[in-house]
Amino acid sequence: MISRIKGWTLGVVQPIADWTEERTGVVTMLEHFLYEPVPKRGKWLYTLGSATLFLINLQFLTGILLLFYYVPTTDNAWDSIYYIMTDVYFGPLIRGIHFWSANILMIVIGMHMLRTFFSGAYKAPREINWVIGVVLIMLVTILAFTGYALRWDQEGFWAWEVGIKIGSYTPFVGAYVATFLLGGDTAGPATLARVFVIHVWLLPAALAPLIGIHLYLLRKHGEFGSEFEYSKRLAELRERQQIEEYALYEEGDEDSRG
Amino acid sequence: MAELQKDPVTRGQFLFMGVVGSLVGAVMTIPPVVFVLNPTIKTNLLGQSDIPDDWLELGSVFEIPSGEPKVYRVEFPQEQTYNGGGPLLGEDSMIQAVLVSWKEGEIPSILENGDQGSFSTSEIEELTQDLNVMSNHCAHLGCPVRWFPDRGEFLCPCHGGIYTINGGLIGGPPPQGLYKYAYEVREDGAIYVKHEFTNGEPWVV
Repeated sequence: MISRIKGWTLGVVQPIADWTEERTGVVTMLEHFLYEPVPKRGKWLYTLGSATLFLINLQFLTGILLLFYYVPTTDNAWDSIYYIMTDVYFGPLIRGIHFWSANILMIVIGMHMLRTFFSGAYKAPREINWVIGVVLIMLVTILAFTGYALRWDQEGFWAWEVGIKIGSYTPFVGAYVATFLLGGDTAGPATLARVFVIHVWLLPAALAPLIGIHLYLLRKHGEFGSEFEYSKRLAELRERQQIEEYALYEEGDEDSRG
Repeated sequence: MAELQKDPVTRGQFLFMGVVGSLVGAVMTIPPVVFVLNPTIKTNLLGQSDIPDDWLELGSVFEIPSGEPKVYRVEFPQEQTYNGGGPLLGEDSMIQAVLVSWKEGEIPSILENGDQGSFSTSEIEELTQDLNVMSNHCAHLGCPVRWFPDRGEFLCPCHGGIYTINGGLIGGPPPQGLYKYAYEVREDGAIYVKHEFTNGEPWVV
């Protein structure tokens, strides 16, 4: 029975897959994206990058949903979130996913960075991917910080004030950083508008292409310490040993002749 | 090796591309950058403020107690983007707590005479010198400081900045004492304050 269903499914799916593959190459692309050799040792640690990607996607999706109700004005921001949390169907769920996955994202992204550091995956030729990763973690941190301020409650407001004061200690351009983030010289409607733009448009727009490059570079070089890399290195090592042994043998041969 | 140049470029072509490229680049980048930096240019370079340059009445010198500060609630009219003087936090607007105390917490002798009438110019000068009119925002990262009567100090809840009753720095991470408002004492003893700071720029506030 099961084999019959399987055969029937393959009979339907296979032609469609072949048809699409011939015209777009999407099946090989999917294979290429989904299957990646990872080292046997610490294999679960190599899922942290995917976990980060999943959580960021979750942020994008729930963030878009929240924008259906959120109002970025000083007199309505807090009330619009209150409305999401009390009146909107599944409002607490959607906002809860956005909030908690943002919190977990900060932990997972840190673990991902630690794994990369301790497995030495930042070494040549993967240096640029490390640098992009560091930029990404900074962008995500600023995203978390601006998201905090968007609630425009006492907690978020004071956290953002602290953030602006931290920015105002930047050498030489501190005053400019402060007025840029405030949209003036005091906290007000322009400040919230700026926080909103940074959180919803500027940083996600910067994040997306950098994630793309991050993934492209990963696929280009593969996971560091993958089976493939190890076997290649082992093969090279054995070859070198053989050459050395052969050289020794030849030397010995010459000695015996002379 | 990566091949950098397939078709050789002549000097003339290079110069032309450079000049046209810079012009097109300037036309495309300057308007958006200036658009976004509008408040920065107006505040930092032209010296404009969201708060009009007016004196606001705080209270009277007779209200300031000895040995502790009095906290005034001042509503600064704010003109920023679409709502001039509009709300800031929920139903509130640009409301600031202003701390007013006497130097070392001692009421000046002029007031102890019970003179409730008008003050002379020299008396006003003396009273002005004896007053501290300070922002309640910590000079470190802007958290609100609070007066602790049993310690006789202002403490910041965020990172433990400590200030004297004069707003002078005792300890903690702040780089300086509390920010001081520009203020004046009128003939009838009323204290007026302006959204202007005499020692450093606190921002946000």
